Amino acid sequence: MLASFDTHLFWTALTSSPYWRGALLALALTAAALSTAVVGGFFLALGRESSSRAVRTLVFLYNWIFRATPTLLQLLFIWNALPQLWPVFAGTWFTPFVAAYIALSLNEAAYMCEIIRAGLLSVDPGQELAGRALGMKRRRILRRVIVPQAIRIIIPPTGNEFITLLKLTSLASVISLQELLTASQNLAAVKFQYVESYLAALVYYLVIVSILMAVQSRLERRFTWTSRRRSPVLAPAVPAISQSDAR
Amino acid sequence: MSMLRADGVHKRYDDLEVLRGVTFEVEPGQVKVIIGPSGSGKSTLLRCLSLLEEPDAGEVSLEGKRPGPGDVGMVFQKFNLFQNMTALQNVMIGLVEVRDLPKNEARAQALEFLERVGLADKTAQYPDELSGGQQQRVAIARALVMRPKAMLFDEPTSALDVELVREVLDVMESLAREGMTMVVVSHELRFAHHVASSVLMMDEGRIVEEAPPEEFFTSPKQERTKRFLSLVE
Repeated sequence: MLASFDTHLFWTALTSSPYWRGALLALALTAAALSTAVVGGFFLALGRESSSRAVRTLVFLYNWIFRATPTLLQLLFIWNALPQLWPVFAGTWFTPFVAAYIALSLNEAAYMCEIIRAGLLSVDPGQELAGRALGMKRRRILRRVIVPQAIRIIIPPTGNEFITLLKLTSLASVISLQELLTASQNLAAVKFQYVESYLAALVYYLVIVSILMAVQSRLERRFTWTSRRRSPVLAPAVPAISQSDAR
Repeated sequence: MSMLRADGVHKRYDDLEVLRGVTFEVEPGQVKVIIGPSGSGKSTLLRCLSLLEEPDAGEVSLEGKRPGPGDVGMVFQKFNLFQNMTALQNVMIGLVEVRDLPKNEARAQALEFLERVGLADKTAQYPDELSGGQQQRVAIARALVMRPKAMLFDEPTSALDVELVREVLDVMESLAREGMTMVVVSHELRFAHHVASSVLMMDEGRIVEEAPPEEFFTSPKQERTKRFLSLVE
C-alpha cells in the first residue's frame, strides 16, 4: 500500500456534494456549450460556403478570432470585460455559469464550423444532384439527404470536441465557477491531501468520458445506413470494420 | 408538337464552351440515343434538358413549356441513390417532398414501381446492400414514380459490371415499349440498334449527325461518325 494514501478521505471526497455537484456542473456546461456550438457551427459552415463574399469574410474573421486567442483569455474577457462595456452584463443573471457558457459556446462554434463544413463537403455531390433532379428544394435536400449523411462523418470529431470542452470547463474555476477542479482544489487546500483530492476529480472525468464514448458508439450505429443494424441476430457475424473505422 | 425540345442551347463553364448551339427534339414516345466521345457535351446536354443546369443561351421546353419539378426524370451513371434511405424511401421521397402526397399513398405507389423494376423483395435494403444493377433499377423507379413526361439516362450502364448491364437495359427496353419518351446517352450500340428511334452523334458541343439506327450504323454520312464508330465497335 502507498505510504500515505487515505482511502477514507478519497471515498468521502468522491461521494461529497461539492464533487458530484461540480461534476454535474461540468457536464451540464459541456453539453449546453457543445449543443449551442453545433447549431452555431452549422450556420457558420453554411456561411463559409455562402456565395456572398461579405458573409464568407465575416465567418473567416469569427473563426480567426476565436481560434487564434486563448480560451482562458476569452473566458476572462467575457466575465470581466463585458460588464464594463455593457451594463446589461452587470446584472445578477450574469453568473459564472452563464459567462462560461457564452465563452465556451462562442469558442467551440469556431471549431465545430470546420468539422461540420468538412462533413457537409464529404457528402457525394451526386446526392444533391439526384435531389434536384427529383425537383426537391435545396433546403429539403440539405435536411433530408445531406445533413443525415454528414452527421455520420461529424460524430467522431464531435466526440473529441466534447472531451476537450469537458476539460476546458476546469478553466471556469478562475471565474469562481464551482466546478470539479474547484472542488478538488478546495479540499486539497484544507486537508493538504493532494493525491486523494485530485484522484477523486480524476475519477469523475473518467466516468463522464466513458459514458460519452458509449453514447457516441450508439449514435454512430444509428447513423450507419445498413438494414443489418436492425437485426441483432446477424450483428456478431458482420465485422464492424466499415462502420467504426470509417473515420 | 414535340415532347421535349432543345433550341439553340449554349453552355459554358468558365473558358470551356461545352455546348455550342444544340437544337433537337423528341416526339412523344420516341427514344433518342446520343453517342460521342467524352467531353463532347452529352452529359451537359442532358443536364440542360432536365434543368439541372440552366443554359446560357437557348431554350429547353417540355410540351412547349418550361419543365416543372420532377417532370423530366433523370437517371445517373453512378445511380446517386440517397445513401441514408432504403430502396423504398428512395422511391417515396419525391412523392412526399415534391408532390406532397401523404406517406401511405406515397408508399403504395413506390411499392408498385419497385415491383415494376423487379425489386419488390428489396424494399428494406439500403443502397450499400444492393448490387449496381439493383441500385440503378431503384434509381429508375425513383424517377418513374414522379410520372415524368420524359426520361433522361446518362450512361446508365457504364458503371456496371458486364453481367449486370442486361437487367438495367431490360427495364429501359420495356419502358420504351410502353411509349415513354426517352433520351439515352449510352454506348450500348445493340440497345441503340434495337430500341432507338434515331441515333445522334455529338462532338465538340454540337450534334454532328442524326439518323435512324439502321442508317446511322450502316452508312453514316459524317467522317467524324465513321471514325467514332470504328473505335467503339
